[in-house]
Amino acid sequence: MGQREQATDGEVVRAVLAGDVEQYAVLVHRYRDRYARFAARMLGSLDAAEDAVQDAFVRAFDQLAQCREPAKFAGWLFLILRNRCFAEQRRRTREGRGLEATDEAIAGPDRPDGNVEQIEQAHALERALVDLTPEQREVFVLKHVEGLAYDEIAGMTGATVASLKMRMHRAYDRLRELLKEHT
Amino acid sequence: MTKTYHPLVKRLLDGELSLSDLPLELRGEGAEALRLLGAVDRAPVGLSAQFEARVMAEVRRRAGSPMRRFWRGLVEPRDIELRLRLRPGIVWGAALAAAAALALLLTRPSQAPEGARPVRLAARDSVYVRFVLYAPTARRVAVAGTFNQWDQNASPLARVGGGGVWAITLALPQGHHQYAFVVDGGQWVPDPAAPGVDDGFGRRNSMVAVTARGARIL
Repeated sequence: MGQREQATDGEVVRAVLAGDVEQYAVLVHRYRDRYARFAARMLGSLDAAEDAVQDAFVRAFDQLAQCREPAKFAGWLFLILRNRCFAEQRRRTREGRGLEATDEAIAGPDRPDGNVEQIEQAHALERALVDLTPEQREVFVLKHVEGLAYDEIAGMTGATVASLKMRMHRAYDRLRELLKEHT
Repeated sequence: MTKTYHPLVKRLLDGELSLSDLPLELRGEGAEALRLLGAVDRAPVGLSAQFEARVMAEVRRRAGSPMRRFWRGLVEPRDIELRLRLRPGIVWGAALAAAAALALLLTRPSQAPEGARPVRLAARDSVYVRFVLYAPTARRVAVAGTFNQWDQNASPLARVGGGGVWAITLALPQGHHQYAFVVDGGQWVPDPAAPGVDDGFGRRNSMVAVTARGARIL
């Protein structure tokens, strides 16, 4: 891809809007992995995450003309994916089946960087995360998996830092409770 | 019931304090809490090798759909050339007549001064639309929308007099256009004279419909 990879998001979005559809592959390549991890932690399943990220990219393409600030495509795509993850959670709740952290690819047993105890702790945490509310899980994933600061999360989600902290602090307590149950 | 974490331990988890900042009696709880974060899996997640190919196949399919081609036909920017030939003797007369016609078209006592207004037919499939915003404290105002690919720099409004009114006249192709004003380079303001439409992501865009007979806000 070379030069195409160097192009800014704004340049790529404008090229796609002008009719060069193939340029969209640059954005897919650029953001697929970053958002796959977020979706996988939100949905507790790699398969569900892959579907969600694919849907988000396609929906973003469909509505690209509405992207007010092409330079901020990544944040706009994140909002689409976030809505998709929340909708998936609501759909599963309606159907009477919650999220399940069953996918080995998320907390893989064969990860070479951990001992058995660490792997079990990781599995326990993954199971506990899916029992949080979607809003609590989102702030936990963005802060502790994606490594974002509260003000960055506020910028992405539109929530205030104070409300994010409140959600997170409730999540800490709930995780503590869930991990006691799981162990 | 499990005890909740002490507020200081929560600040430890937030990264605002270190373990040594905690009082001695809280360090055990703090160490337990940090083990929770130690179990967080930050490993990259691998999508299938065909992921990009699948997305692009769907994107190409949608790009070729008749609906999308129709939409692009509406919003794609086009060059519009205007040729005026005026004889010297009637220049001032014509200018005054044009100004009077413009004033007539813009005068709608029942409406607020802001908004997108039709001015006159610009070309066979384009209409001049005047965008007006009252923003007395603004330093810069622009209009961005589907007609200029949301480019904040493409269509700056100019001050009209000293009363805080900003305006620009644009030739827009016929069709529906979403737009918003951009004040001081960062504040997105829907047109106060037009009902907003949700852009699907919690923000409001304004909408103008341009037809051969003029433009109307939706």
